[in-house]
Amino acid sequence: MNPLLKTWGAYVRLSSRWPAIASIVPFIPVLALWWATTALEIFPRVFLPGPAEVVRAFVDLVYKGILPEYLADSVVRLAVGAAWGIALGIPLGVLIGVSRSAHRALWPLLLFFQAIGDIAWLPILVIWFGYGLTTMTFVIVYTVIFPIVLNTVLGVRSIPINMHRAALSLGASRPRVLWEVVLPGALPNIVTGLRNGLGYGWRALIAAEIIVGTSGIGFLMFDARRAGSVVEILLGMVILGTLWYIVDSWILAPVERATGERWGLVTR
Amino acid sequence: MKSLRVRNLSKTYFDPYAGTKVTAVRDVSLEVAAGEFACIVGPSGCGKTTVLNLVAGFIPATSGEILLDGRPVKGPGPDRGVVFQSFALFPWRTVLDNVAFGPKMRGIGKLEREKIARQYLALAKLSDAAGRYPNELSGGMQQRVGVVRALANEPDVLLMDEPFASVDAQTRMTLQEELTRIWQEKRPTVLFITHDVAEAVFLGNRVIVLSKGQVLEEIAVDLPRPRAWDVLNEDERFKALTGRVLQLVRAA
Amino acid sequence: MRRRSALTSVLMFLAPFAVLLVLWAALVPYFQVNPRLFPQLGAVVEAAIEAGRDGSLWAHVGASLLRVTVGTALALLLAIPLGMAMGVSPAVSTFLTPLFRFFSVLAGIAWIPIATLWFGYGFGAITFVIFNAVFFIVAYNTLLGVATIPKPLRHAAASLGARRWTMLTEVLLPGALPNIVTGIRTGLGFAWRGLIAAEMIATNVGLGYMLFVARDFYRTEVIVLGMIVIGVLWLLIDRLLLAPLERATIERWGMVQRA
Repeated sequence: MNPLLKTWGAYVRLSSRWPAIASIVPFIPVLALWWATTALEIFPRVFLPGPAEVVRAFVDLVYKGILPEYLADSVVRLAVGAAWGIALGIPLGVLIGVSRSAHRALWPLLLFFQAIGDIAWLPILVIWFGYGLTTMTFVIVYTVIFPIVLNTVLGVRSIPINMHRAALSLGASRPRVLWEVVLPGALPNIVTGLRNGLGYGWRALIAAEIIVGTSGIGFLMFDARRAGSVVEILLGMVILGTLWYIVDSWILAPVERATGERWGLVTR
Repeated sequence: MKSLRVRNLSKTYFDPYAGTKVTAVRDVSLEVAAGEFACIVGPSGCGKTTVLNLVAGFIPATSGEILLDGRPVKGPGPDRGVVFQSFALFPWRTVLDNVAFGPKMRGIGKLEREKIARQYLALAKLSDAAGRYPNELSGGMQQRVGVVRALANEPDVLLMDEPFASVDAQTRMTLQEELTRIWQEKRPTVLFITHDVAEAVFLGNRVIVLSKGQVLEEIAVDLPRPRAWDVLNEDERFKALTGRVLQLVRAA
Repeated sequence: MRRRSALTSVLMFLAPFAVLLVLWAALVPYFQVNPRLFPQLGAVVEAAIEAGRDGSLWAHVGASLLRVTVGTALALLLAIPLGMAMGVSPAVSTFLTPLFRFFSVLAGIAWIPIATLWFGYGFGAITFVIFNAVFFIVAYNTLLGVATIPKPLRHAAASLGARRWTMLTEVLLPGALPNIVTGIRTGLGFAWRGLIAAEMIATNVGLGYMLFVARDFYRTEVIVLGMIVIGVLWLLIDRLLLAPLERATIERWGMVQRA
């Protein structure tokens, strides 16, 4: 048999035993390509440093304590922003999903403000709040809230009407229907919205840190740019990508899948 | 269990697509005595589902009254339990929790309501399914859960909206026999909506034929109980009654 | 009757904005809000007229739109064929999917620092960021789209005599189109935001730049004007470009239901 096929077969079997393999092995050629490109000096070292240098910079920054601190800053900001986004977004989504008048009044505004985008708010936010945590939190909440609200509305509206009616005819009062039927029923969509929202929020955070930040991974990249140090820029990008990739693939995606399967019958 | 009386019930609504008013139910009056099993049959679009939704309180009536033991009712409530064609079980709750939902709404404590739920599950021979989730069950089993969920709340009247239309023919016959067995034990007042004439005659004490939003005729079904399909399929009276109802429905 | 209802729905869509404008016109002067914090409605209108008259508004809008168009066009030209080529083979697409998911995370804004290093400030860097944002996402979605075309469809086409090129244009491309269009929508969204972000720090013309420079002078009326223009432009792109595209392909062919 063709050796290529044999290797492929082995790969498929291994990765179904250990899914982590499928997430890691594809990057090996990329890393190899990267290393080869820099070793052959196709681009000047100033423009594209090699993997070894990035790793060295990583170790160096960790040792100096800068990287852990910046990482913590970024993560904390995202967490705070996300928490607010969820606390505001889910009730708003339920309201718009359930009340037709709320939908008519708020939906156009929602679409428009989503269209403006979080980045465009940075200048005026800096005027109002300066360069601190408030500005960052606002940007993240602003970004996170739209996917959450939109998906919550979708989830609420996909609940079959008979489920509301069943609860009512079993003696639930209208507020209880919200708690016992609407919220659980919309949960798969809410989780999807959360996953999307966090993805956008992470990107918004980096953007804010690049443009107006004073610490964090985004700021690391911006500062490195100013100093002309490509290595740290690349390091920042690698960390960004890896961190989100891990959180999304191994935490968020499985949660989304699990709720979707349990709730399988609600949305059709 | 209470008696259900519907007086001069009408429902008109505006259809935005047609651009006109549509009368779904026109001056319907009927009565179901306490503990009686009444079936409403009619062709598609005759208004039978609308009647049920009106009695259940899911939609407001344009005019007329709905009375339970002489007392008017409005809006949905636990006094009128409903069994839906689409089952409408809560997929995030176990079978036991689904059946215990009604008692939970009434504020009954956890231990007590689980006991009640188990009693009713035993009634439907579903005790083994108590810990399972609805999407793990077959359609027939889900609907049995739907029936006992409504019954466990001990409503004054049980409303059933074409509950067996979504299951296959064999399961349907089993469910119909199950339903009569359960009904004989608990004797709820039942208003059962269907388009299946044989089903209506099999299940009911009385069959009400509806057409174009109006009551056409009521036919008493005095076949002995308990009723079984293999017996009734050969029964002359059953065939005669079914034939008569079918005639009315088709002429409507 | 249909025309009347189209008009009513447009009016109903605009009604909340009318309310907002009235509130804005009334409350800002009433509370005597510092114009350095938030402008009056009148000031924004004046700024709009002025910027329109002296051409600066059109220069900024034009620059932004040009960059987006060029970057997106290049990205689509490369991403769609590449995505299709990769998606055709199940082995290749399974292997490459994690890679594309990884790079999709970085799409757009994260590339700004390195883009300015490689291309300097200006058109090149910004267009690169836009290209980047659209490329990875569209390539990934195209790959997914082709890979998830049901086997029976491909077999049916083959058994009806379709050869390479026909298969490509008559089966794979249409079949992957819903995903491609979704990818375009998402990618364009990232591109638009990346554009504004990049223009804030890497150039001297464009909507992002307009906002950023106005901040230095506390000219809030220019900032708010810029924000409104950005919002309106995106809504126009969405309604006039993306929605019709989705309607013409996805919904017409019944492959994806309207959300």
